[in-house]
Amino acid sequence: MQLFLEQVLNGIAMGSIYALVTLGLALVYGILRILHVAHAAVYTVGAYIGLLIFKLTGSLILTFLGGMLGCSVLGVLIERFVYFPLLKYPPYVPLIGSIAVMLSIEELCRLIAGPYILTFPATLPFPEIHAGTITISSILMAVYCITAGVLIFLWYISTHTEMGLAMRATSQDIPIADAMGINSHIIISSTFIIGSSIAGIAGILVGIYYNQVYPTMGAVPAYKTLALIVVGGMGSVPGAVIASLLLGVAETLLIGYANIPLPRDALAFIAMIGVLMWRSEGLMGSR
Amino acid sequence: MNAYVITIATIIVINAITVCGLNVIVGYAGQISLGHAAFVGIGAYSAALLSTKAGLSFWAALPIVIAICGFIGLLLGLPSLRVKDDFLAITTIGINFIVEAIFLYIPFFGGALGIGGIPRIMLFGMKVKGLVFFELCLVFLVLVLLICWWFTRSWAGLASFAVREEESAASSMGISPMRFKLLAFVIGTAIAGLGGALYAHYMRFISATDFSFPVSISLLSMLVLGGMGNLWAPLVGAVILGSLPEIFRPLVDYRILFYTVLLLLMIRFQPAGLLGEDSFARHVFSSVLPGGKK
Amino acid sequence: MNRPLLTVTGLSKHFGGLKAVDNVDFELFPEEILGILGPNGAGKTVCFNLICGVYKPTKGEVILDGQRIDGFSTNEIANLGVGRTFQIVKPFSSLTVLENVLVARGITRYNSLSKVWSVWQSSAEKKAALEILEHVGLADMANRKAGLLPLGYLRRLEIARALVVGSRIILLDESFSGLRPEEIGQLENLIQSIRQDGITVLLIEHNVRVTMGICDRIVVLDHGRKIAEGEPEAIQQNDRVIEAYLGRRRGKDAA
Repeated sequence: MQLFLEQVLNGIAMGSIYALVTLGLALVYGILRILHVAHAAVYTVGAYIGLLIFKLTGSLILTFLGGMLGCSVLGVLIERFVYFPLLKYPPYVPLIGSIAVMLSIEELCRLIAGPYILTFPATLPFPEIHAGTITISSILMAVYCITAGVLIFLWYISTHTEMGLAMRATSQDIPIADAMGINSHIIISSTFIIGSSIAGIAGILVGIYYNQVYPTMGAVPAYKTLALIVVGGMGSVPGAVIASLLLGVAETLLIGYANIPLPRDALAFIAMIGVLMWRSEGLMGSR
Repeated sequence: MNAYVITIATIIVINAITVCGLNVIVGYAGQISLGHAAFVGIGAYSAALLSTKAGLSFWAALPIVIAICGFIGLLLGLPSLRVKDDFLAITTIGINFIVEAIFLYIPFFGGALGIGGIPRIMLFGMKVKGLVFFELCLVFLVLVLLICWWFTRSWAGLASFAVREEESAASSMGISPMRFKLLAFVIGTAIAGLGGALYAHYMRFISATDFSFPVSISLLSMLVLGGMGNLWAPLVGAVILGSLPEIFRPLVDYRILFYTVLLLLMIRFQPAGLLGEDSFARHVFSSVLPGGKK
Repeated sequence: MNRPLLTVTGLSKHFGGLKAVDNVDFELFPEEILGILGPNGAGKTVCFNLICGVYKPTKGEVILDGQRIDGFSTNEIANLGVGRTFQIVKPFSSLTVLENVLVARGITRYNSLSKVWSVWQSSAEKKAALEILEHVGLADMANRKAGLLPLGYLRRLEIARALVVGSRIILLDESFSGLRPEEIGQLENLIQSIRQDGITVLLIEHNVRVTMGICDRIVVLDHGRKIAEGEPEAIQQNDRVIEAYLGRRRGKDAA
């Protein structure tokens, strides 16, 4: 029983990290209807920038801020130079562009920082919690708290600010939002800034959690997150979060506890097909 | 001709064959398939198993391989083609990952070690290799091109173009969209199976990662670079993306970066492909290419 | 009184709680031009789509020459000789105008396992398609890419394709919307000549004047229900119709 609970807790942490990455993907899809696979590269870059700043300054705050800033810039650059000009073409065109960007960035990371696994020896100042026989390590607490913080922040922006309202309007219908005086391009860029910053946070968190930063670390979430936004209901942020948490727990239990050795990507897609057969628009998609 | 060039050329021709299959699905019928490598893999593994475990010759196994791929294409196409665009894209990605996982984890398919010792193709009592193998692949390519060309001239092809352009309008003219999407899909996967069989007998050793998702992207990129829907696009794309890594070989460490950046530039500035209507290549070479876009 | 070609009885379509079409009955007789009128949201388009097979009725039946066709798919209904146009034009953009019509001509081949593999670029087919283009006045556009044509021509292309398919009935979906005055006149003449060829026409339309001008009979819908049916003069004076279009007024105004 104790092992089971510990695995569930690990699964929730895994799911939280997936949620952070998938969020960005859901936000971008919601607004541009583009599958932003390159988001996984943004996440990787976040980890590298965070590591660099940490090595230089030792300050966690600067690490996270720097990572968020760097990722925002990268995200906006991708949007302006790759996606925006390709919007008028059928969807597989920006998709191929996105994959090309992801591979290029991966290669650049490899060339600049080396193919080796670098360590990220930081400790996050979160307490260890003891509940009965279960110990929740400080890093697990860090993941839970940071994820919860990000989600609350997003929820607040979305429901209590003009920006959030504008974002929701633009994601419904860009021409009409434009006609109402919303500068859709600012909204689109803001969406990328928010999504990419969150990816940066996720990259740094993962780097610290596993104590590993390496060029192909983006491949882990990259394609899984596609399955997750489908399961969640394309473009639905709450759906993406729920789907991510569920997958994190399911994966961890199946692989660690029940010993099913299937590769995680395949598991995610099998789950996706299962959910789609039950409910064809995803968990929280609209018909 | 030196052996190295023949190797590259053979792989290019095999790729061109599989991309022709993709062209029928994506170019002619307008359906997104991001998991084409899975069907190449199904063809390769079928050929490998039929020749190593069942002792069949390449020629005896070939019709079975094509039938298997077409049949699995039918099974997978039925649920997948009901959904559109982004859903379809992700579903085909999922198919790729799941098929690859099956090859990797079910012992019957050799697991992580794959399948080795695939015999050479025998023709008139001779082992086919080197230049002769290349020529054999060329013959198959011509055959596949003929099939694709005939498809574009048939009513089935016209129906597929209609479904690609405006599905509901096509339906109002007696065309069942599902039927023709499926038809194109099955033809495409069957052709992919042929490519896979040739690949298996060429490499003589295959493993699951030869058919992973990045390979599907590579195949789709060849098609898009050539110009989807154009008869010659698969060949143009396969030649370009097949020779580029070799051209960049001297750059050693930077070669993958150059390759991906070039892909990015090409998709960013020439998404209709080199054979597309307004392409810079057409402006440069103003002579008319045979086959034409349909 | 001859037998109706198309009969709609008790036709209803509910979307959740919304009754888009509610218990509509009417008949369409051979070689007549029947118009369906109604203000915005009256349910004309939903009704149209129920007949064409785009939607399945929640209740009621659609009967074509004695055969029930409600629940059939759009391509099955097309195979029964029912052609239709689309309000938002749907040309096959990268095909030429001639090829657009040729797609429609394929209707006799798409269901035949043997014929579907035969070649479509024969001179016999091209000649037949060209004749139809001449009928609608698009013959000199035959080799232009359909995607490049302006709206007026595209509406004619819609009708050309519907003519090929519609050996018994042609359904016109707001074919007059967005047309310039001279184009409207040309289209009116075209529809009259279609009827003279012995084809039955059912049209839904927003433009009341045009509808009154060319239809033999008119059915008026409002809020999903049929509120009037009859010849144009009678409809013009029908109080409920006037009320539906103009809203309730004190006293009565002539249309």
